[in-house]
Amino acid sequence: MALTLYRSAVLLALASVALLGFGVVTADAQKKGGTLKVGILGEPPSLDVHWTTATITETLGNHIYEGLYTLDATNRPIPMLAESHTVSKDSLVYTFKLRQGVKFHNGKEMTSDDVVPSLARWGKQSVYGKALFAQVSEWKALDKYTVEMKLKERSAIVLISLAVPNNFGAIYPKEIAEKFAPEVKATEFVGTGPFKLAEWKPDQYIRMVRFEEYKARNEKPNGFGGGKTAYVDEIRWQPVPEVATRVAQVETGELDFADDLNLDAYERLKKNANLHPIVAKGNSWLIAVLNKKEGLMTSQKLRQAWQAAIDIEPIMKNVAGGHSEFYRMDSSLIMAETAAWHTKLAGLPWNERNRDKAKKLLQEAGYKKEPVRFMTTQEYKWMYDFALLTKQQLEDAGFVIDLQVVDWATLVKRRNNSKEYDAFTTGIGAIYDPAHVNFLTASWPGWTTDEDIAKLQADMARETDPKKRMAMWEQQTRQVYEKVPIIRYGDLAGLRAARNTTKGFDEKMGRVRFVNVWVEK
Amino acid sequence: MTTYLIRRLLTLVPVLAVVVTVVFLLIHLIPGDPVSVMLGPDATPAQIEATRRALGLDRPLHEQLFKFYARILRGDLGQSYFLDRPVVTALLERAEPTLVLTLSALFVAVVIGVPSGIIAAAYQGSLWDRALMLMSLLGVCVPGFWLSLNFIYFFAVRLGWLPAAGYASILSDPLSALRYMVLPAVSLGFNQSALIARISRSCMLEALQQDYIRTARAKGVSQRSVMWVHAFRNALVPVVTVIGITMAILIGGAVVTEIVFNIPGLGRLIISAVLRRDYPVVQGVILVTATAYVLINLGVDVLYVFIDPRIRYG
Repeated sequence: MALTLYRSAVLLALASVALLGFGVVTADAQKKGGTLKVGILGEPPSLDVHWTTATITETLGNHIYEGLYTLDATNRPIPMLAESHTVSKDSLVYTFKLRQGVKFHNGKEMTSDDVVPSLARWGKQSVYGKALFAQVSEWKALDKYTVEMKLKERSAIVLISLAVPNNFGAIYPKEIAEKFAPEVKATEFVGTGPFKLAEWKPDQYIRMVRFEEYKARNEKPNGFGGGKTAYVDEIRWQPVPEVATRVAQVETGELDFADDLNLDAYERLKKNANLHPIVAKGNSWLIAVLNKKEGLMTSQKLRQAWQAAIDIEPIMKNVAGGHSEFYRMDSSLIMAETAAWHTKLAGLPWNERNRDKAKKLLQEAGYKKEPVRFMTTQEYKWMYDFALLTKQQLEDAGFVIDLQVVDWATLVKRRNNSKEYDAFTTGIGAIYDPAHVNFLTASWPGWTTDEDIAKLQADMARETDPKKRMAMWEQQTRQVYEKVPIIRYGDLAGLRAARNTTKGFDEKMGRVRFVNVWVEK
Repeated sequence: MTTYLIRRLLTLVPVLAVVVTVVFLLIHLIPGDPVSVMLGPDATPAQIEATRRALGLDRPLHEQLFKFYARILRGDLGQSYFLDRPVVTALLERAEPTLVLTLSALFVAVVIGVPSGIIAAAYQGSLWDRALMLMSLLGVCVPGFWLSLNFIYFFAVRLGWLPAAGYASILSDPLSALRYMVLPAVSLGFNQSALIARISRSCMLEALQQDYIRTARAKGVSQRSVMWVHAFRNALVPVVTVIGITMAILIGGAVVTEIVFNIPGLGRLIISAVLRRDYPVVQGVILVTATAYVLINLGVDVLYVFIDPRIRYG
């Protein structure tokens, strides 16, 4: 017995030493230095994150700028440049305390003088800023480190709007925020983030270097927030438009990380011992947006017929190149990565695969084989694939589909003209709050003008009790499946690849971030 | 000769006037809009409209066209919507990679094509002839992008001899520039060498059947001298014409090569500009490319005088 105890104690001690040793090794392994070369799909239209909703701008911009809030690992808002906030009893006044001693890349300290004009600009241009500032009656500085937001009505979206990473409320220096009108893209890029822009050679590279005076938060890294460390000296973003070349360059080591890869490269990447493919869950879900303003799809029965006819799993399997790890069957309008708003409702008419029901609905709608103009593009292979398979399934149910394949620039232009199409394909990325669902608004292409849907969206933007909001969101989800403003397909993951020398990359967050990432070469 | 050159250069004006007008109308009339692309997928129609106004894209097309003419006459090609810089600056930045790629590929095409054609002609009907012509047939048939991707796979990914893609300036780092340029120049040049080889062969065969060749041989002139001094010199005019055409084709063909090998040249610039509907850049690149085509043709015509003394321009 004594011997056993003695042996256990020794083993425990050895294990502790090993664990401690491992801990030391891990901590030591996080080393500063080196250049991280990242292959991206293309050139950003701008690095002005207030101005554009382009994902590539979001990815790059989040290394340069920070907002008052950001998202934690569960996609909930947490403070970033804000120290804290208080809300008045009537919920109409938000007072934000700013962190002190935070420097911009130009050496100037960030204060309320910068925060007020930055968010005022953002509130006039950004999708999320406009939604929030529609509820704001007054926005001003109280002192150097305090700002106040007065609301016209109670709002549930103050913090989450300030935290979304896309088209986000980045804090620019006052001089830049005031120099560029909201609708004019800024051409000077100065933020408070861990990296600062060093050089931008269009179609060659965008070089960001570590901002030595960056003031990190004291907390541990948490999602897009918490303590952020720029370990690498430099991130070199290299636009490589040809996806096969991006794959080859990460294989040869010319790139340390490659984003937006085609799923058919997965098997080849898996076989390479020097790198590992990353399945980016929560990337987007596939959607057919239906034109409710004019044309065939103004008929709810026709929309319901489309929803009833499709068999989603074979479509997703095909789009994902047969790899089950790249698609998810899910009816929730907000993906599982945002757990707070992910719904699991039974009995929804999603993926019904009911051709008879579809035929009946077509008959009830008085459909006379008029061609449905379904717009897609080959620039995004997955869009074309799912449109093509949808066409086949719908035609089997009695629809006539006029598949119009155009380039992306044409699609995004034409989808704003209600006369030019009946449906179009796109992907819906991460949504962090039900009030931010663009396809349920009357201003976004497809034009969801249904009064019941609009009323519930407006109510949700005002309701601050999370439980009541969730009940409303579930009601809205049921309503969407009944009125069918859009067709919800499955979730599609993205494919990335990182060399084994790239360490610390957070694979769980849907978006690419290189803070707290280091290279071992 | 001087009068001829001036006359030819003057013809450049109406050609370019037609080219810029057609390109302006085409790029503006095709669907698509730079603002929708720049503002991203979630932008609302109201945001798009505001930015269109800010860029002057809401003005009538004829008004935009006249403004464009006025700018061109002042030597101003406008400002890129995407790149935040004057089009002229963007063009100058991209000219070097395209020029280096085109000249390297032309070098490869000529070095492979001309000797292959001559050897095939000299040994007409032999195994050499058949093998070289089969190779040139392959060169014509194989798509450039397929060849490029296979080159990358074998020479960069599998063997690791050369970089898969990228570019280094020949002015700042000639050695790296050479390493980056080998695969694109060979893949682009190989395709074009086929045409040069076939034309060289047929021109040489035609020249070798002329009376003066028979006379030279009868006089006991060596085979080498017959081939290079008598036959090749006379076959050179059509070969130079093809090389000139090849040069022009290479400027166009460089588009695919630049995309695959990620070379930041004019080809990649125009593809990006078309996809983004960056109108000023598209117009600028086409204007420069059209000018280059006309000047290359003029250069080839001038070269004839030096190759064949019988040719005179009045």
